[in-house]
Amino acid sequence: MSMIQREVAWRLFAKEFNQSTMEISGNENERTPSYVVTPLGAMVNRVYMVGVLTETENLGTPEDPMWRARVSDPTGTYFVTAGQYQPGAATTISSLEPPSFVAVVGKASIYRPDDETVLTSLRCECVKEVSEELRDYWILEASRSLKKRLEAMEEAQRMEEVSVEELVKLGYDADLAEGIKRAALHYSSPSMDTYWSMLEDSLMYVLPEYERTPVEKEPVEEEEVEESDLEELILDVMQEMEDEHQNGIDYGDIMNEVMDRENISESEFEEAVKNLRSLGHVYEPALGSLKRIY
Amino acid sequence: MKNEELAPHIKDITRALNGKVSEEEVERELQQWIGSYGVNLAEAKRSIVKKLGGDPQSLFTRTEKKIEDITGLERNLELKARILSINEKDIEVDGEPKKIHYGIFGDDTGTIPFTIWEPLPEPLDKGDTVHVINAYANTWNDKPQVNVGSRAKMEMLDDDEVPEFKREPQRCNIIDIREGMSQLIVLGRVLSVEKKIVQTENGEKELFSGILADETGKVQFSAWHDFELKEDQVVEIEGGYVRSWRGIPQFSFDDNAQVKTFDDDELPPKDVLEESGMMTISQLARRGGAVDAIVDAVMIDIKNGSGLIFRCPDCNRVVQKSACRIHGKVDGEPDLRVKGILDDGTGALTVIISREETEEVLGYDLDEAMQLARDRMDHGIIKDELEDKLIAQPLRVKGNVTCDDYGLMLIANQVREKKVNMEEEARKLLDEVRV
Repeated sequence: MSMIQREVAWRLFAKEFNQSTMEISGNENERTPSYVVTPLGAMVNRVYMVGVLTETENLGTPEDPMWRARVSDPTGTYFVTAGQYQPGAATTISSLEPPSFVAVVGKASIYRPDDETVLTSLRCECVKEVSEELRDYWILEASRSLKKRLEAMEEAQRMEEVSVEELVKLGYDADLAEGIKRAALHYSSPSMDTYWSMLEDSLMYVLPEYERTPVEKEPVEEEEVEESDLEELILDVMQEMEDEHQNGIDYGDIMNEVMDRENISESEFEEAVKNLRSLGHVYEPALGSLKRIY
Repeated sequence: MKNEELAPHIKDITRALNGKVSEEEVERELQQWIGSYGVNLAEAKRSIVKKLGGDPQSLFTRTEKKIEDITGLERNLELKARILSINEKDIEVDGEPKKIHYGIFGDDTGTIPFTIWEPLPEPLDKGDTVHVINAYANTWNDKPQVNVGSRAKMEMLDDDEVPEFKREPQRCNIIDIREGMSQLIVLGRVLSVEKKIVQTENGEKELFSGILADETGKVQFSAWHDFELKEDQVVEIEGGYVRSWRGIPQFSFDDNAQVKTFDDDELPPKDVLEESGMMTISQLARRGGAVDAIVDAVMIDIKNGSGLIFRCPDCNRVVQKSACRIHGKVDGEPDLRVKGILDDGTGALTVIISREETEEVLGYDLDEAMQLARDRMDHGIIKDELEDKLIAQPLRVKGNVTCDDYGLMLIANQVREKKVNMEEEARKLLDEVRV
């Protein structure tokens, strides 16, 4: 008998996960697990991620719930589901108030509603509200993991034919080497530059010079601070753009739209957004994007 | 799967096809079935033989093999080997006590662990050479091993029928020590050593056991000869072998080994080495357990049977609904513990946290936990509090890690929150990324 090994929980940024289109189906009788294979060769059965809960919705009924939550990291958004077979997770999700920092353990799955669409999601095993500090720590872990895959993939791209054995000789785990080989066969070569800059941006996010308004659980309400006209305008513009940008609206797009309508400078815009954030009217679900809080 | 690991399987298939098909073609097929389709090895071999016009049954006909060719799938294995080590073990089969033997076989191509599941026809000793027929092989921890079961036969051979396995002794860092290794040279500092008297088949024996450490990690050792090892000494042991004892790999050596003492400054001092042994979970899985390991990981699950639990006063088992599995209705004795899953991104293991450390995590003791549970009329409250404190929390955990069929288990004797200087770590990584 070979040892029963629990599947590892990958620290994986949403963007890499959501760009996956390859899966290996397991067999319950043979107890072989299923995997989602990412473009950088992570063979993912389970994910551990910490991010911002931005939305929760019960697609089922109160008796037979099917909760769906959106959880963002600096690169994108995970879809997390919890139904009657994950009662603990479903109860927790139902009680959480977005936005808040949450840690999620979930099983990776791929769903293809039609030939062209590939949807990735996590079936939630465990979810818990956590501190901002733990989210930053997770970004570090996910960055380290991403860096290793990027380096392994670059080694693989230098090879005439990707060899698991060669990768192991270079010091990579056999599981990762296997995943890299499968990914290299399935995906047309991933855009490495994009991933490298995603890694850099994510790490910057943890640094103090990256301007981040400290999160205040209870928005200050005692003194009703009136928004300025410019701030009103930004909120209106965001409301208009919201329908097409559920995950948050690109910072630059909002700025362009607002500057089209009002003769203001970039720094005036930045100042106004900063105020809106500190008033708790908008937040940043992912790097470089904004979303309204109602 | 690595090419070198596939090689013996390719030979198997080619043999089953009577050499009608070239090894190159078989290799291509096998790569395709396993690599591209992800079919398991046994099924792939069967299917390829069938597809290429052979009889899959012939894969399982009796084949004499050299140790390096054993894949772990053999059903009718024939083998000539020398016994490099042999030990007795008491196990229970269907409630009946049974004696089995385990150890390491060697021939001129390599070494392999074995288990003999039936009483020995005649006593076997280290150094004996045997002819084994109808054994089978399986894998444990991804490494093949030989099983001598009830259908198997074993005969003694003349000593010269099996050439000795003469591998050059290999230098090995302690972190790289794995079960089944032999002919090792290990340099380490003795962190502890004690003399024990143990019962063996050949009567009482002296055993000197303790912990040996270098900068990479720690290992339990067993010296079956008095080398006058002393605590804090730096020694180099040439000719040791590794076997697992109670789920932890152990570095063993006897009077065939050579032990040299080294200058004290050859290795860092004892208190520094006490803190060595930081391992990733994937390293622990490859090695198959470790003594006094340090693991940095996140708690991602806390299992039922954690928090305030009650134990049977007779057998110490955890009582459910005030009934013990063996002793029926009992007055359970309260205890605190955590049974959880630690995951570091390279692997996962089960962690058991004792009462003392659980009290440390909670910030109060068992009595207070009992009081709290009574006040809230809910025993589950303690587990809830532990989940609140531990889940998603990066931890540094110390303890022995055992390895068996159910995976890795860390018996924690110290649990601390891991402190990280986020900014410093991020800048360091960023510098590496920007190169």
